[in-house]
Amino acid sequence: MNPGPNVDHGQAVLAAAGRTASGRGHRDAEVVLAADAVSVRLRLSGGRTVRAVNDVSFRLRRGRVLALVGESGSGKSVLASTILGLLPGNAQVRGSVTLGGAGGEPMELLRASERVLAGRVRGRRVGLVPQSAATHLTPVRTARAQLAEVVRELAMGRRRDRSREALRVEELAAEVGLAPSELDRYPHELSGGMAQRVVTALALAGDPPVVIADEPTAGLDRVLVDRTVDLLRALATGGRSVLLITHDLAAAESAADDLAVMYAGRLLEVGPVGAVLADPWHDYTRGLLGALPAGGLVPIPGQPPELTNLPEGCVFHHRCPGVCSGDVTLRWSGERAVACR
Amino acid sequence: MAEVRTKERTGDPGGVGFGGWFDAGRVWTRARGSRRRARLTARQRLFVGIAVLAGLVVYAVLVPIIAGLDERLVDLAAAGSAPSLEHPFGTDQAGRDLFVRTAAGLRVSLLIAGLCAVISTVLGVAVGAVAGAVGGWVDRIVMRLVDTVNAVPHLLLGIVIVALYRGSVVAIVASIALTHWAPVARLIRSEVLSLRQREFVDAAISGGASRRWVIRRHFLPAVIPQAVLAAVLLLPHAVWHESALSFLGLGLPPHRASLGTLLDEARESLLLGSWWTLVFPSLMLVVATLAVAACGAAWRDHVLPRRRAEEWA
Amino acid sequence: MITRLGRDRRRAVGRMAVRRLLLAVPVLVLTSVVVFGLAAASPFDPLVGYLGDRYLTAGAAEQQQLRDTLGLDDPWYEQYLRWAGSLLSGDLGTSRSYGQPVADVLAERLPWTVLLAGTALVLAVATALMLGVWTAWRQGGVADRVVTAVAHALEGVPPFVVALAAIGIFALGLSWLPVAGLTDAGAAVSVGQVSRHLILPAGVLAVSQLPWLLLHVRQSLIAAFGEDHVVGARARGLPARTVVLRHALPTALLPFVTLVGTRLPELVTGAILVESVFSWPGVAAAVVRSAMQVDFPLLAALTLLAAVVVLLGSLLADVVYTVLDPRVAADG
Repeated sequence: MNPGPNVDHGQAVLAAAGRTASGRGHRDAEVVLAADAVSVRLRLSGGRTVRAVNDVSFRLRRGRVLALVGESGSGKSVLASTILGLLPGNAQVRGSVTLGGAGGEPMELLRASERVLAGRVRGRRVGLVPQSAATHLTPVRTARAQLAEVVRELAMGRRRDRSREALRVEELAAEVGLAPSELDRYPHELSGGMAQRVVTALALAGDPPVVIADEPTAGLDRVLVDRTVDLLRALATGGRSVLLITHDLAAAESAADDLAVMYAGRLLEVGPVGAVLADPWHDYTRGLLGALPAGGLVPIPGQPPELTNLPEGCVFHHRCPGVCSGDVTLRWSGERAVACR
Repeated sequence: MAEVRTKERTGDPGGVGFGGWFDAGRVWTRARGSRRRARLTARQRLFVGIAVLAGLVVYAVLVPIIAGLDERLVDLAAAGSAPSLEHPFGTDQAGRDLFVRTAAGLRVSLLIAGLCAVISTVLGVAVGAVAGAVGGWVDRIVMRLVDTVNAVPHLLLGIVIVALYRGSVVAIVASIALTHWAPVARLIRSEVLSLRQREFVDAAISGGASRRWVIRRHFLPAVIPQAVLAAVLLLPHAVWHESALSFLGLGLPPHRASLGTLLDEARESLLLGSWWTLVFPSLMLVVATLAVAACGAAWRDHVLPRRRAEEWA
Repeated sequence: MITRLGRDRRRAVGRMAVRRLLLAVPVLVLTSVVVFGLAAASPFDPLVGYLGDRYLTAGAAEQQQLRDTLGLDDPWYEQYLRWAGSLLSGDLGTSRSYGQPVADVLAERLPWTVLLAGTALVLAVATALMLGVWTAWRQGGVADRVVTAVAHALEGVPPFVVALAAIGIFALGLSWLPVAGLTDAGAAVSVGQVSRHLILPAGVLAVSQLPWLLLHVRQSLIAAFGEDHVVGARARGLPARTVVLRHALPTALLPFVTLVGTRLPELVTGAILVESVFSWPGVAAAVVRSAMQVDFPLLAALTLLAAVVVLLGSLLADVVYTVLDPRVAADG
């Protein structure tokens, strides 16, 4: 185990050369979500343990999009569940996640009670756009019924005002680009893109300052990916902060300000998206770029390690073409960090 | 069943364990103050069930022998006496000792039920295997028959049978056996169908394996555990069925002790305040039923994990 | 668009109902053939049933003459066809044990059985839903453990034992409720009388069905708690009550509807035992009486009636399921 947080708190973490020209949040904007040395392990029957997240630290700032990029099975989605307190019963965590910024007093989320999370955090301060949108909708109720319900519970006062409620539903639908008639469909009648927009509207209903989008572009065609990217950018422009969890490096490049590359539950490289992609420091990041069409479609040889059986030291060691330094801690240099050399 | 249960997220530093790890997730319910409780494993439940059942059988077989008395012995002087040291279960309105008589009744009920369960299972396995193996119109007719047997409540069909063949033990056995084979047949049929679809059986047949070899090598190992389980799970149904028929006065004649006839007598004794005539035979009936059911369920979980368990749920 | 879909679905449900009704016909025919076949193979002489006590006094010649008139020496399938023919023309024959046409017996007694079984079913379903939601939500708590343990134990108690115990406690011990019957002896049939007499039998019948329903609701809710759509509802920040009642329960209820349909044979079985213990004047008690006296026309009619009820019940359950679940295309 790694002793304690391996992030230098004195340093500007995850700072990027803010794209201030486009009105994006500044690199020194206030931190709204801070993860410090978060680890998650899931105990399985037979004494095995899945080490899904290992010593992950990051800062999400106001008005910015942080993309968490990694292959499937790298523990990205577990991190989303961890932040919202939706882990299954066999999960154990370590570290801390602090919710700050406007909209409420600072709050540590990993130790918060279910009551506090349900009543004050989920939907209200942190919205989740879940992976596989269609299965996250209740199948026997229409999209409109479920959207109206969230609006009623989260955004309306004690007295029920049907016309204001309906207005807000239409407003949210328009914001994510849903036609009113599409709202009257049952989940199984929605296409992948529509379902994606419905769960996005549901996540935005409580007007949360932080939005976690878990693989929002998975299974969508190019046009829909672009629309999703635009939507996420619009959220950031509107002052929200977005944690974009994705395996799609291209989408991350166009949507994000900052990039964190995750592999086998660990962050290997962190930095402003432009700088990292232009000059990747870690061999894994370089491998990911090489596997893109622009990089020549060269896959990284080998397979990621089983999370039940992580190697000691560097998790990428057995697939790494470079010379191993044997070092796993993120080392900061300016606004970038890398877990090698 | 979601048995995993962890401490609720409370922010309680007491929850921080070794190395800073603490339980984060939880089964989403509002149960408070519950702790992870050691549950009996399937093997332990099987053991408990068998132990209870063995106790009941010893009671049913040995007590009438040791008592050395005919359970039909009438002692009018002791009629309707409450439980005492001399008569632990009390006596009935004719002064017969209920400790002995309940044992005799339990023995008869278990015997009949066991016989019925075995016959039903054999019948079900035979019909199901033929339907699955032959297929075609035979299969269709058999499945209609299964639907029919399932469409008529078992007790009602049983009543029709015993009514037409009054007073014979054979009729009682037949009325139970003939109404309970249908689910077994359905189960075995689907087992055979899935077996036929598996490639290795096809390969064996096209490779020139004899029919007998296929049956011994593939069919029996797949079907026998299912059949044994079916028989065990049918047993409580059969006990119920026999006691219900006798209770209604359509089963065994009143002087023959069975759990059903004892309870039929209890209907009237109860009006006279003899609560023990109801309590002890019912207790035996319930304990026997639950013990067998527990054995069956444990055996299902232990021996057939993941295999069609839900069909017997 | 919605109305068009709605009409399509209605039509599809109608088609399913018709197809299922057609499939029920061979089952009903087979049921009556089985009953007739059993009767034909039985050593019981139908003439005894027909003549009753006069069987012993009637001479051989008179007996033979009757046999010929009734066609008792004809092969059983001819007798069956005659019976089926008169059944289709509305004639169910005459019940010897009640001394009136079978149709009259049914008309007189069926409403009481419907009242008893209907009350019991509503009671059982309502209790199962309430307790099921409560125990699932408080899964692992004291209340849950007590309720599940009692339910598992009740699964092993036959309805007639429950009935006798209820009589012993509530009628004889506490004298709160009457022991049996539809009304007090000699009292006229009135709403007050009947409802007082209904409480125990309906309660017992409900209790005898409750464990299966309750444990099923609890189990499917607990399973639903782990499903994506419930996790999704929680992630949106909905209060727990809303998540349970509006997201977990609706999907958990769908298989419950089917279960209630498939439990109908057990309800009929329970009704036979409960009516007979409580001397309730319904058709289920008539089953026992007609069996005792080998009243074949009534017994055959009641058996067929039970089969019709069971088939209609499962059809109704499937229709309800199809109406409730927008995903079902109604062609299954």
